[in-house]
Amino acid sequence: MAVATRYEVVVGLEVHAQVLTQSKMFCGCSTDYLTTPPNANTCPVCLGLPGSLPVINRRAVEATIRTALALNCEIPEFSKFDRKNYFYPDLPKGYQISQYDLPFSRNGHLEFDVKGDPRRCGITRVHLEEDTGKLLHEGAIDEAPSSLVNFNRAGVPLMEIVSEPDLRSADEAREYVMRLRAILQYIGVNNGDMESGQLRCDANVSMRPVGRTEYGTKVEVKNMNSFRAIHRAIEYEIERQTEVLETGGRLVQETRGWNDTRGLTVSQRTKEFAEDYRYFPEPDLPPLEVGREWVAEIRSTLPELPAARRKRFIADFGLTPYDASLLTSSKPMAGFFEEAVRLGAPAKAAANWILGDFSRLLNADHKEIEEASVKPTHLQQLIGLIDSGVISGKMAKQTFDAMYRASDPGPALTALEGSSQISGDAELEGIVVQVIAENAKSVADFKAGKQQALMFLVGQAMKVSKGRANPQRLEALLRAKIS
Amino acid sequence: MVVLPKSSLSSEEVEHVARLARLGITPEEVVRYRDQLRHILDAIDALNRADTSRVPATAHPLEERNVMREDRREPCLPAEAALKNAPTREDAYFKVKAIQE
Amino acid sequence: MNLFQRTIRELHQMLVDREISSVELTESVLGQIDAVGEKTKAYLVVTRDLALQQAKDADDRLRAKRDVRALTGIPIALKDVLCVKDVVSTAGSKILKGFTPPYSATVVERLEAEGAVFLGKTNCDEFAMGSSNENSGYWPVHNPWALDRVPGGSSGGSAAAVASGEAIAGLGSDTGGSIRQPAALTGIVGFKPTYGRVSRYGLIAFASSLDQIGPMTRDVVDCALLLQAIAGHDPRDSTSSPKPVPDYLATLRQGVKGMRLGVPKEYFVTGMEPAVEQAIHDAIRLLEQQGASIEEVSLPHSDLALPAYYIIAPAEASSNLARYDGVRYGHQAEGARNLIDDYMLTRQQGFGAEVKRRIMLGTYALSSGYYDAYYLQAQKVRTLIIEDFKRAFEKVDALLGATSPTVAFPLGAKTQDPVAMYLNDIITIPANLGNVCGISVPCGLADGLPIGLQVIAPGFREETALQVANAFEAATDFGKLQSPLMRAAA
Repeated sequence: MAVATRYEVVVGLEVHAQVLTQSKMFCGCSTDYLTTPPNANTCPVCLGLPGSLPVINRRAVEATIRTALALNCEIPEFSKFDRKNYFYPDLPKGYQISQYDLPFSRNGHLEFDVKGDPRRCGITRVHLEEDTGKLLHEGAIDEAPSSLVNFNRAGVPLMEIVSEPDLRSADEAREYVMRLRAILQYIGVNNGDMESGQLRCDANVSMRPVGRTEYGTKVEVKNMNSFRAIHRAIEYEIERQTEVLETGGRLVQETRGWNDTRGLTVSQRTKEFAEDYRYFPEPDLPPLEVGREWVAEIRSTLPELPAARRKRFIADFGLTPYDASLLTSSKPMAGFFEEAVRLGAPAKAAANWILGDFSRLLNADHKEIEEASVKPTHLQQLIGLIDSGVISGKMAKQTFDAMYRASDPGPALTALEGSSQISGDAELEGIVVQVIAENAKSVADFKAGKQQALMFLVGQAMKVSKGRANPQRLEALLRAKIS
Repeated sequence: MVVLPKSSLSSEEVEHVARLARLGITPEEVVRYRDQLRHILDAIDALNRADTSRVPATAHPLEERNVMREDRREPCLPAEAALKNAPTREDAYFKVKAIQE
Repeated sequence: MNLFQRTIRELHQMLVDREISSVELTESVLGQIDAVGEKTKAYLVVTRDLALQQAKDADDRLRAKRDVRALTGIPIALKDVLCVKDVVSTAGSKILKGFTPPYSATVVERLEAEGAVFLGKTNCDEFAMGSSNENSGYWPVHNPWALDRVPGGSSGGSAAAVASGEAIAGLGSDTGGSIRQPAALTGIVGFKPTYGRVSRYGLIAFASSLDQIGPMTRDVVDCALLLQAIAGHDPRDSTSSPKPVPDYLATLRQGVKGMRLGVPKEYFVTGMEPAVEQAIHDAIRLLEQQGASIEEVSLPHSDLALPAYYIIAPAEASSNLARYDGVRYGHQAEGARNLIDDYMLTRQQGFGAEVKRRIMLGTYALSSGYYDAYYLQAQKVRTLIIEDFKRAFEKVDALLGATSPTVAFPLGAKTQDPVAMYLNDIITIPANLGNVCGISVPCGLADGLPIGLQVIAPGFREETALQVANAFEAATDFGKLQSPLMRAAA
């Protein structure tokens, strides 16, 4: 009887992240390419005009070293740029200035966790290169009769972060990218926008029988522009490749594109012959000596990174590892949380609000926390009102919704403190008297020692108050009145 | 006197290299370039006479290192100037033929 | 004597003294272009209107005595590899036919700031690849000393223009001898500065680690004046040196007394014409008589310079010329079915045979499996050549040799044999690979054809090369020799 082979997936990721700079990698053109008219964001250098020459943007180099340090990489003392030669209409010079054998960094790692379990993925290298222009065409690229080229993006600094093939599931791959994105945002080198392509991810996916050490045939998957897409595409590839292997088929080394609407990967036409990039040192750019003082200087500007912040959130605020991971996955979210706590909100409640209702609303609107009108002070005040017994949890949820929708959450909060609140015992007493009169049996039961009876009465009183009363206060008043 | 070249550069290699370089060449040119390149490569073989086992390569002639500019924006070209030499364009875009291979 | 026959220094004095105007001078030169341009074919484009406008502006400056500099009002020819804003710039190639750059090269801007007058773009070998100017995508240039002979290359147009009176001075570019060799073959002074001395920004690239722009002039003083105007650091060229530029005129006339001059024995190559060899020996003796001490030196890896160059330069060129794909500028083929056909056809039609040969050679040298054997080995040999020069310059101040092993050869004589053509640059190439500077100065005639003496000085010691060249020129009458085309007008 044949024993079914069990396969495991091996994933390595190549993440391309545009570096947040004012000007392009090798010229003074603005990097703000999304808003400018086509080809209006170009100059002789980024258009590859005859005679033009590149000059390295210092900030882009520093951002790359910064990223490499955040990813625990070694920074070699000598580095250089190389030319990667190939023809494509979005590549103005017929070569891309990139880094080949002496990148700015190598041998790092990234720690993250999958549902609270720690994981570690090796980082092969972080290097710096220039982005290409953009092609526009009707329909699929290989079917369009022509394409239009816009070079506004050409020359934008681009970091390539290459991982080791250390990831073993779609979950791990997604969590890796989420954590990487958080780090890039934390250190201010990338805006994390996957939709507009400022952060892009390609995956190398292969399968091998469990227990084997050598790798299987590698498939490169492209066009995944969300965390969800990364997860789905890898899940799809696991299924597809496993099926091929189990039915005795052979996998081919190829590039496949993820089609998000159809939920599958499609083989991209294999090239007629293998590319040969003919890398050689870029003669227009002298090499770089990355002095240890320079590295130390860049290191000293690194902020607290997500892993450290997560540890601190657990230790200082008593958060669960899971909540701490979620909160620190986004720098603005972690900042929001800390600010609310600093203003006096209890940590657990603040975390629950942020990860619960607040995130739900933000996700539905595809918004980031810093775009919301609700600020830490609003959340702190709301929690304060709950804790001081002014409003109920149910009311708070409704109020938070209103606050979130309003351009200024202030009035919704003030309204709570004013009209909505039944703080005066006079009004509450009226309600208590009414409930005692209408529920004689329960009053008797309570007097006989049945504690649940009191809870029933509190519930009745809440109903009468239309949820506007504070249940703790009602309970106290009922106790006093009955006994 | 006809000197036969020692280089064994083949027609297929010439075709491969021409394609890598995106140079269209005719079958007659393949033969002509092959023969010329063989002669040139023979002359170049003199390089291997030098013992370079302990010699570093010179890729950058000057001693200057870390030549960088500050991250400052400079004016771009007017879009019309960027596009004025375009052989084929559509509106403010450069236009290229079908990308299928 | 016509104005177009004079030197920058003489004309500058006449302009400052208001003896002549720049417009008169420019018209004199344009007149000579009209008279002999069809014979030399030195220019691809003559920018008559621009020249006269610049001459008028220069006259305003001269009249107002405002910011008058050495080159104010002086008509100059620019090799077609230099980008001039809104002036057709093609590097002598059909693939750039009609290309008008939206920007100017740094050297062009510097000359504009000096108040120089631009006569036009001079013919050259396509993308500066050649030693005879026969590889021009448009037409060959004829030597003003003998119209059936080549002017040398690749800066053959600038050389012919300066030698025929079609320009007072010119700019060329030198990757393996492209300024010095045509200067030698047309009897003028041509100087390849040290790599990094002059900005390459706006120079249409051939081989990025070797290309250098330099002056081509009637005499050594003019050469110093023109170099002074274009040398110096440029933030737009990362390979331009921040080293300060000395005052070249300050040391120019100090002579060679007490100087140590070396004669590399390897520079007397096989195939050198006896008349050339004799002229060089005579020149060396003359400098000795001027007080220099002469000693034989050895640059043992000189014979490897040519093969190393024919790997490094084509390799870099194969990459530099990848941008000519017919998308953003230049020639685009008609009738291609798809993009890759378009690329192949565009480049097949746009590039000439020599350019294609070098692109293929360079692509091959960089391709997978050959990189170490060819490209890396060539770069290591480059190191050996650099060390050869360093060792030699520990003993001597400058080196002497021929510029070209032959005088100007007949048009068509070497076009069928690339290897024979490449040998023209055998004594000029080492200076490009070795990061040193080299000047060619006229040192005689053989059967009415000019011979050039090459003076090589250490990197960033341009003043030394100029000093030796000037001492030689001052001690002879070779500098006063004029081509028949120029003499005929007198």
